[in-house]
Parts: sequence; C-alpha cells; structure tokens
Amino acid sequence: MDCYTANWNPLGDSAFYRKYELYSMDWDLKEELRDCLVAAAPYGGPIALLRNPWRKEKAASVRPVLDIYSASGMPLASLLWKSGPVVSLGWSAEEELLCVQEDGAVLVYGLHGDFRRHFSMGNEVLQNRVLDARIFHTEFGSGVAILTGAHRFTLSANVGDLKLRRMPEVPGLQSAPSCWTVLCQDRVAHILLAVGPDLYLLDHAACSAVTPPGLAPGVSSFLQMAVSFTYRHLALFTDTGYIWMGTASLKEKLCEFNCNIRAPPKQMVCTHEFLHEVPAASEEIFKIASMAPGALLLEAQKEYEKESQKADEYLREIQELGQLTQAVQQCIEAAGHEHQPDMQKSLLRAASFGKCFLDRFPPDSFVHMCQDLRVLNAVRDYHIGIPLTYSQYKQLTIQVLLDRLVLRRLYPLAIQICEYLRLPEVQGVSRILAHWACYKVQQKDVSDEDVARAINQKLGDTPGVSYSDIAARAYGCGRTELAIKLLEYEPRSGEQVPLLLKMKRSKLALSKAIESGDTDLVFTVLLHLKNELNRGDFFMTLRNQPMALSLYRQFCKHQELETLKDLYNQDDNHQELGSFHIRASYAAEERIEGRVAALQTAADAFYKAKNEFAAKATEDQMRLLRLQRRLEDELGGQFLDLSLHDTVTTLILGGHNKRAEQLARDFRIPDKRLWWLKLTALADLEDWEELEKFSKSKKSPIGYLPFVEICMKQHNKYEAKKYASRVGPEQKVKALLLVGDVAQAADVAIEHRNEAELSLVLSHCTGATDGATADKIQRARAQAQKK
Amino acid sequence: MAAHLSYGRVNLNVLREAVRRELREFLDKCAGSKAIVWDEYLTGPFGLIAQYSLLKEHEVEKMFTLKGNRLPAADVKNIIFFVRPRLELMDIIAENVLSEDRRGPTRDFHILFVPRRSLLCEQRLKDLGVLGSFIHREEYSLDLIPFDGDLLSMESEGAFKECYLEGDQTSLYHAAKGLMTLQALYGTIPQIFGKGECARQVANMMIRMKREFTGSQNSIFPVFDNLLLLDRNVDLLTPLATQLTYEGLIDEIYGIQNSYVKLPPEKFAPKKQGDGGKDLPTEAKKLQLNSAEELYAEIRDKNFNAVGSVLSKKAKIISAAFEVNNYIEDCIAQKHSLIKVLRLVCLQSVCNSGLKQKVLDYYKREILQTYGYEHILTLHNLEKAGLLKPQTGGRNNYPTIRKTLRLWMDDVNEQNPTDISYVYSGYAPLSVRLAQLLSRPGWRSIEEVLRILPGPHFEERQPLPTGLQKKRQPGENRVTLIFFLGGVTFAEIAALRFLSQLEDGGTEYVIATTKLMNGTSWIEALMEKPF
Repeated sequence: MDCYTANWNPLGDSAFYRKYELYSMDWDLKEELRDCLVAAAPYGGPIALLRNPWRKEKAASVRPVLDIYSASGMPLASLLWKSGPVVSLGWSAEEELLCVQEDGAVLVYGLHGDFRRHFSMGNEVLQNRVLDARIFHTEFGSGVAILTGAHRFTLSANVGDLKLRRMPEVPGLQSAPSCWTVLCQDRVAHILLAVGPDLYLLDHAACSAVTPPGLAPGVSSFLQMAVSFTYRHLALFTDTGYIWMGTASLKEKLCEFNCNIRAPPKQMVCTHEFLHEVPAASEEIFKIASMAPGALLLEAQKEYEKESQKADEYLREIQELGQLTQAVQQCIEAAGHEHQPDMQKSLLRAASFGKCFLDRFPPDSFVHMCQDLRVLNAVRDYHIGIPLTYSQYKQLTIQVLLDRLVLRRLYPLAIQICEYLRLPEVQGVSRILAHWACYKVQQKDVSDEDVARAINQKLGDTPGVSYSDIAARAYGCGRTELAIKLLEYEPRSGEQVPLLLKMKRSKLALSKAIESGDTDLVFTVLLHLKNELNRGDFFMTLRNQPMALSLYRQFCKHQELETLKDLYNQDDNHQELGSFHIRASYAAEERIEGRVAALQTAADAFYKAKNEFAAKATEDQMRLLRLQRRLEDELGGQFLDLSLHDTVTTLILGGHNKRAEQLARDFRIPDKRLWWLKLTALADLEDWEELEKFSKSKKSPIGYLPFVEICMKQHNKYEAKKYASRVGPEQKVKALLLVGDVAQAADVAIEHRNEAELSLVLSHCTGATDGATADKIQRARAQAQKK
Repeated sequence: MAAHLSYGRVNLNVLREAVRRELREFLDKCAGSKAIVWDEYLTGPFGLIAQYSLLKEHEVEKMFTLKGNRLPAADVKNIIFFVRPRLELMDIIAENVLSEDRRGPTRDFHILFVPRRSLLCEQRLKDLGVLGSFIHREEYSLDLIPFDGDLLSMESEGAFKECYLEGDQTSLYHAAKGLMTLQALYGTIPQIFGKGECARQVANMMIRMKREFTGSQNSIFPVFDNLLLLDRNVDLLTPLATQLTYEGLIDEIYGIQNSYVKLPPEKFAPKKQGDGGKDLPTEAKKLQLNSAEELYAEIRDKNFNAVGSVLSKKAKIISAAFEVNNYIEDCIAQKHSLIKVLRLVCLQSVCNSGLKQKVLDYYKREILQTYGYEHILTLHNLEKAGLLKPQTGGRNNYPTIRKTLRLWMDDVNEQNPTDISYVYSGYAPLSVRLAQLLSRPGWRSIEEVLRILPGPHFEERQPLPTGLQKKRQPGENRVTLIFFLGGVTFAEIAALRFLSQLEDGGTEYVIATTKLMNGTSWIEALMEKPF
C-alpha cells in the first residue's frame, strides 16, 4: 500500500495530483517532437504529427510527412504533405484532423489520413496570411480561431456549419499579442489576448480591457495563458515567473505561485489527464492511515482472504459506525478511477465482500461499474489505444465511444461491446454492421458478388440496417452493380426505388415499385420512364407490367386522353376504344356531324370487338341524334340528348302524335312500354279525350288498372271510373277501391270469394257510411265459413 | 373522448386519440394563426376525428373550400391545404398560391396530404413552379376512421371501382397501411384469413410492410385474434338487396353520410293542421347516428318489420324468373329510377350466374332507349364488375352456394332472431355467413363452395414473441377484425353485431371497410355520366 501513493503530489492543502504512464509509446519518431506540429485529440483520441519544415530557415526541399498515431503510438496513417505550409493542427470532436494552412485554407482529414474536404477562412485571412491559429471545442462542435498578419481575429465556432465571424479590432494593436486563447462562455466564443501588461477580451461586438483580481504587481508582460478543457479555469504566466490561476470569467482568483523561471515555457496546458487530481473516493481510501469506511472495508477483505480474524474486527468497526453502505459505495467508485485491472479487482472484491453483509444494497451500481470497467479496459488496451478515464467515458457516452471504435474500423470490438452491454439492436449491433458494410463496399479489390454476399451474410435481416444506405455508398464509390445487388436485400421499396432511378435502372425500379403495392411509387417510376424511353419502348415496358399499365391508364384518363387511345390501340382493346369514342362524342364535339363521326368510330370499334349489341346500339344512337337534329330544325324546342323514350314523350306532349308513333315504330319500342309512355304523357297533358281514344284503339297490353291509377293521381275520379269498369277481374277490387266505390268492391270480392280481397275491402270501410258494406262482408265471411 | 367508441371489446378511442394527436402535432408545427383550405371531400371524415373546437385551439381562424383562382382574404400567418393526393387538386393549389404571391404580405404555405404524401403530386407542384413555396409538406395517415365502437371505414368512395374495374390498387395499399397502424396500436394480429384477389394482395402488402418495420418490434399484447379480409366481389348479391334493418333502411331511403343523415324538413312539420304554417322548418335536419344515442343503439340493427313483410315478398319472387322479368320490364316502362332498375337487373343476373343472352340484350336495349344511350358506358362498367353478364354454358353454381351456406331461410323470426338471415327477412348475407363459418367450424367444411366463389382463399400466420401469446380464459370470446374490401352495408354490420352478441357465439367482430355503402350508392359509383 505504501507504494500506491508514491506518485501522488500535494497541491495546496486539500488536494493531491497523481501521474502515471498510460503507454510506453512504441512509435519510431524520425524527428524530434519539438520540430513538429503536434496535435493530440482529447478523450484519448489520436495524435497527429507534422514535421514542420516551414519554420526553419532553409526552404523545404523535402516534402514533410503527416503521421497519425493512436494514443498508444500505433501508426494509423502516414502521408506526404503536398499542400501549402501549415500553421496549426487540431482535432475536431468527430476526430477529424483540421490542418490550418498559412493561406487560411483548412484541410480536413479522417483518422486514417483520408482527405475529407476543405474550406477557407475567408478572403481577409487569405490576403493577410495566418499568423497563428487555434482549434477549440464547444458544445456545438469544433471551432477554428485565426490570428491574421494584420493582427485581426477571425473565427468559426463550428466547422460543421461554417459561419465566419470577424472579431472587432483591438485598439492600438501594432504587433502580434504576446499570447492569446479562446474562451467559451454562455455559448459564445470570445478571445482573450495579452498585449504587454494589458489583457483584452474580444467578443463579436466589442473589445474590452480586463484585469484578473488579485494579480501580483510588477507584471510587464504575459507570456503564456492556458484555459482548462471545460473553459472554467484559466492560468496566466507572466514575465516575472509568476503564475496566476483563477476562474475563466476573471472574477475570482484560486491560487498563485512563483516558479522563478523567467523564460517562457514552450507550452503550458491545463491538463485533465495523465496528471490529474486524485478523485475523492480514491483519496479517502488510499490516503495514508485513512480510517474512511472504504479503506477499512478494503483492509477487511484482504484480511478475510488471509483467513485472519482481523477481517471481522474491521467489519465490526465499520458496522458499528453504520457506514457499511458508504464503504461499499466508496470502493465501487474508487474502482472506477483505477487504471490497473488488479487494483480495480481488489476494490470491487472488497465492495462485493461488503455487500454480503448488507440486506438491501441495490445491485445496479456494482453491476454497471463492472460492465463499464470491462469496456474501458478493453478500449485502453494498447492495440486499441483509447485511454479514457471513467469520467470521460461517462461524459462521452457509450454511443460516442462506439462511433469512435467504428471510426477506427474496430468493428468486431464494437459489436462485442454492444452484445456485452445488450444494447438494443437498432442502436447497437445494426448500426455498427451498417458502418462496417459501408466500409466494406469501398474495398475495390473485392468483387461485387463477394462484397454483396459478405455483407448479406453478416447483416441478414438485422433490424434497423438500411441496405439502401449501404447501396448509396457503393454507388457513390462508382460500384453500381454492387449497389443493385445490395438493394435486392432492401425491404423498404420507398428507399429502394429512388436510388434505382438515380442509377438509371428504371425498369428494375418499376418492378420493385410494383412489388411494393405503393401506387404513388409506381407512378413516379412511370413518369420517369416516360421521359427516359421513346414512346414505343415505354409502351412495350407497360405491356409487360399489367399493374403499371392499369395505373398509367388511370393517369391518362385524367391527364392525357390521347395517350389513353394509343394504349388501347396498342392492345387491340376495341371494346375500350369504343367506350373511349363514345365519351369523346360527348366531350369534344359541339357539331352534330362531329358527334356522329365519333359515334361511327365507336361503332366500328365495337364491331371489331365483336360486340354486336353495342355496335347496333351506337348506330341507333346516331340515327336518333340525326333525327333529334331534324326535329329541332322542324319543330323547334329541345330534343338533342333526350333519351328515345323522352323524345317520344316530348313529341306527344307537343301534340305531334304521328311523329311519335313513327319514331316508336322505327325504333321498335315494345308495345307495353309505348302504352305506359302514352298513358303517362296524355295524363300529364290532361287530354282525357285523347286518352280515352287511345284506350280504345286496341286492347291494352298493360291492362286498365294503370289508367285508373293515373287518373286518380291527377285527381280525376270521373275519368278514373270510366276505366275501372274495364279492369280485368283480378285487379277489379283494387280498381274499385281506388275510385272509392267500396260497396261495389265488396260485391266483387264476395263474388270472388277471395279472403284477401275481402280483408282489403274491409280495411277500406271507414266511418258510418260504409257500415252496411262492412256488415255485408262479415255476413259473406260467416257464410263462407259455414260451408 | 368520444364515448361511443369505447363501448366495444376494442377501445377505438385509442385510434381516435392517436390520429388527433398526429393532427395537433402537425398544426403546432405551423406556428401562428392559420387558415385551412379544405379538399371538400375530406370535411366529412375529418368531422369524426376533430371538431372545429380542436382546430380553433390550435389557432385555426379561418376555413375555406379549395377552389380555383384567388384565396379569400384572411389575416393569418399560415395557409394550410388539407388535400387528397390528386393531380387535379395540385393544379388548383398552384393557382391559389400563384395568385396569392402577387399581392400583399407573404404568408407561409403548407400542405397536409391525406392519407399519403405523393411524389407524383409533388412533382406536379414542382412542374408548376410552386413546390418551393411550401414550408411543410406532410402526410396525415388517416386511413381508417372510427365510426362507432366496432366500426371503421376508409370512406373511399371510388375504392370498389378502382380495385375491380380499373386495376388501381391505391386503396388496397391504404388499407394495408391502415391495418399496420391498427397493429401498431392494438398489437400484431396473429392470424390472417382471406378470400378474394384483393384480400390476397392486402395480406401480401401487410406481410411485406411488416418486414419493412422490423426492428421497431411491437410489444403490445394483441387485442385482435384474427383478421378476415373479404373481397366485395365474393358477395356481389348482398348489397343489391334492400336492407331491412332500421339503420339499413334509413340509409336506403335517405342515405347516411359520415354517420350523419339529412332528413327532409317536412318530417318535422307539426302534426296538427291548425298549427301549420308558422314554424315550418325549411332546412334539412342533420342528425348523427351512432351508439352514443341509447335508443338508437338498441334499435339500429333490428328488422324493420312493417316494411319487412312487404319487401320480403319481393325478395322471394326472385326465384321465379318469369315474374321478375315482368316486374323489371314494368319498372322500366314506368321509368322508375334507373338505379333501382339497375339494382334489380344486377340482382337477377348475380342470382342466376348470369342472364340468358336474349334477356340481357332486351334489358340493355330497354334501358338505353328509356334512359338514354349514354348509359352504355354504365352498362359496360357493370359488366366489367361482374354484376351483369350473359349465362355461359357452364352450370349455375348459385343454388349450390345457396344450399351449402344456407342463405335462404324459410322460418325467420324478425322479432327475436336466431339467425343472421333476419336482416333481409330470410336472406342471410353470404359475406357474413363466410365469417360465421370461419369461426365455427372452420372453412375446411366449405372448401367446395370456396372454390366456386371468385379469388383465392388463404390463411397466414404472423408469429408472435412467446411473451405476447395469449392464453385464453375459458368462455372468453375471440375478437375478429373483418375487413370488407370494396364496401359493406349496414345490414351486414347488423348481422355481424348479432353474431357478436350471441351468447355461445365465441367471436366478437370489429368491422372495417373501404366504404360504408348501400346498393344505391354502390351502383351510383359505378355509373358514368359523360355529360
């Protein structure tokens, strides 16, 4: 135990710092670090090195090399720098390397040295060159701040959403500031700079002078400044060898000391890691002669392993103080802050031991710590080289850690972690497999078949995997065939079809759209095809896809009638062609000749369709149309588009009986219907004389009851009675009742000896007037029953 | 909350609340005051989801009907078009937007497509140069609208014609989508049965969509045990007959639209002559019909006896072909309404597996001469739908179907029914009989008839995770969702409700359809009027 605190250094009265080596870097550096531009990404990220030839006097004859290493020094990439002089390097939050060139261009590289994109920091920067640059991190992303040769600052707070901001001028600034840094407060980036003994704070609107509280007198210049990662703390180093530390808001001093070194340090950084404050839990447990419950518990467990009774004594001690829960918690927490698995284990063992003596200790914290530590130990392995601390890991979240593993192409480890932590597939395994697949399609040395098969074997029907995204990536790499193969596995047609269209595989897109049943998708492809193919090919394609053909017909019906006709023609669908021309005869033509011509075309089509009936009917219609035209000319009035029936009626109503009869004969209107027609028309005219003449013209094919009914409808009882007598025996009773002759109806019913008729008459016997009739019926009934 | 939706075994308020939430979320996306421009067809169905008060709460200040030219003036920040995805509507919208831009302060435009956003329509808007004017273009998946505690409808008028005549499956796709929404709310339905081409397609789409949605595993305990998909063309006869239930008759006579009936004002005139003339109502009275009204809930599915006895006689003469011919002939001669005539002719054709060519031609000629030659298009449509056809050499299968499925019952008790045939006073709707036989004893017993009826019959299983499998309590009824593709009548609904209420029935039904209809509205949708 005594050696455990060996690397602890006191800082002030209340805190300790400790330092340990994470990795012994096994990189093989050709240049000295101080000749290089160096950028180490936070949170155990990668390290970039660029030998800086531009700083030296002699011009660069040899192109410099950009090397990227993992945090453990494993080489990730190495490339010749072919672009312009670089002033500064830095890593974005997405672990992209930002290289700020002297001309203000920023080149962005991936972890593996793959060029991503570039952007410029603006014209002003280009003209005045970059004097100095900083990459900084905010909650929105990563930013770049530039100090130009004109001593002006330009910054972009988020390189992902580039918005350049030129900061206001610092009054009287003639030369470069002695030091400067970016501060982020209240979501806004500021610049703190030192000019001689003065400090200035620049925000987007103004430049204001600031003074740190409690600053020792005699400072004539600030040589260095550093801000902590969280932007909460600031350190200033002066030419007097004095260091001031306080809050970044410059409102509070935390401490000061004099290190008696006047020369400016090459670098001063507020570190977070390697050298860090000993966390409270660890301090409690490991502080020499600590009596904290955690410390006691750790001892107890060790004694227990030695099978010593001291274990019991320690345990009692804790229990008597009622601090066992606290002890377990301390051990769990301290384990999290340990880097060495052995130490983690012994702390966790102690926690587990203590838990045995507790009734209800919720298991979550212990279980989660074990899981987290396993994950952390796995990524800290020097092969992986992501030396995260427990608190960094918690801040970063597992999702981001997985992203970083994916970025390093460490797919198997990422999947193992997902499975180990039982993350839901959509967030975990599926996502990683999808990334893997996107990487896989870029391997140009592997054949399309093999890639597609490999991807499908791994991914299968894994929920949440978007094959179309992978296919889009493949298409982006120029591998259309592979993309098509991959799309075969995509179950969502809505994703599949647009990509196929983009790749100009419209026919395949069409069959996929049809499979989906989504008609809108089919329409979309069809309109695409229509523009892409010549008419003949387009029609042929439709012919092979009946569902698409029907849909296209629907479209044409509303949008392109002429095309509809062509489609029917192509299919020799004469029946529909006939109907088409019938419609056309109503829609397009005003003149009778045009309408008749359209109908003639329709009739011809119906003949071709072997629909004799429709053809004949259409010819009849043509005949009728011409006739109606003539009637309008000769008689005036409106005849066109009346039905044959209504034409005859109109003629009768107009008193043109002869013409009406002629028409009925010409069109062979059946007798029965003609009688109904005349009857109705004459009654409407109230031409009772003509009606009577008509009724006597021959024996009525519809009987005489309709005559009675229609007269009654016109409230003409007198006429109705004339016909009632002529009604045949079967309907006589009904007719007599209609004209109100209840007595006679009763007589007929009695004569018929028909029970139903008798009841009917009886139901019409109302009031006193029909009393006698009612009696008569009752008597007849009684008599019938006697028999 | 709409109380009438939560009476049944399945609380359809859950669905209503879900679609209301979706609507509110959309409205809130368009911050500030709003005017809604309505595709008029949508107002009815929307009324069942959200009253004006809900819209008002979300700052909807004005409502207009979509029509050409300029929009009426409105001092609002947002103009939202609520439309079906139809090209002709896009043209009108573009006209509105273009004439709006030229004057006054600019406003934010949005489109809400119901029920589906359409690439085709967006392309049209793009071609017309207005696509960029819309800030939000979204879809509102209002596929199945809850009408009552056991009733859902898509209210898609054209569905039957599109599916069976024009080969346009759009409404089937919406039906499948609607079923996916239902499953998201009420759990995966473990068994799917179906009969007919369209049923087969909907089932295929559902299975496909399920594959698309894998990953977002549904962990809801299934409420429905079965889904039965039925093509309307499996039973063309039933809607042609006159419905004899109370609700069915109201629909036959006055027409029920989106659960509302408009009654003529004279029905509300004071009875005594002396009071007349003073307060005669002049406007049609609009009444809502659903089970929220207790009395209505009780009587809606009962047989309307008085009328029943008269009409049932008419139904029975159908068998005597000769009399029917005369009756139809007389109807034409007296120029009864064309729809009535068409219903009768189709009824006769369907019952006899077609008409003799001579008879068919005679009817057609009579109809064309009496009602006009333009109806040749309508007749053609009816032939395409299979409602009208000549007898072919083959056997008349209808008697076999009728006997096996016991469609015509002689001893029908209309007051205290014992069989579903009471809804047509002696005729049992084939569609409902199929559902009944499926639940007991199963379709295997009627394989022969199923083969005669058009389209395939099938069964699909949707596997459930073990944790969600149901253990049925003894005596607990199954819940079957029955989906009529192409429309359903109130009489059929009444028959299914009768089955649900049977004590030893074993199955309760929730009914879904593309459209609530009757013979009149059905035939009307198939008619074509070229001028």
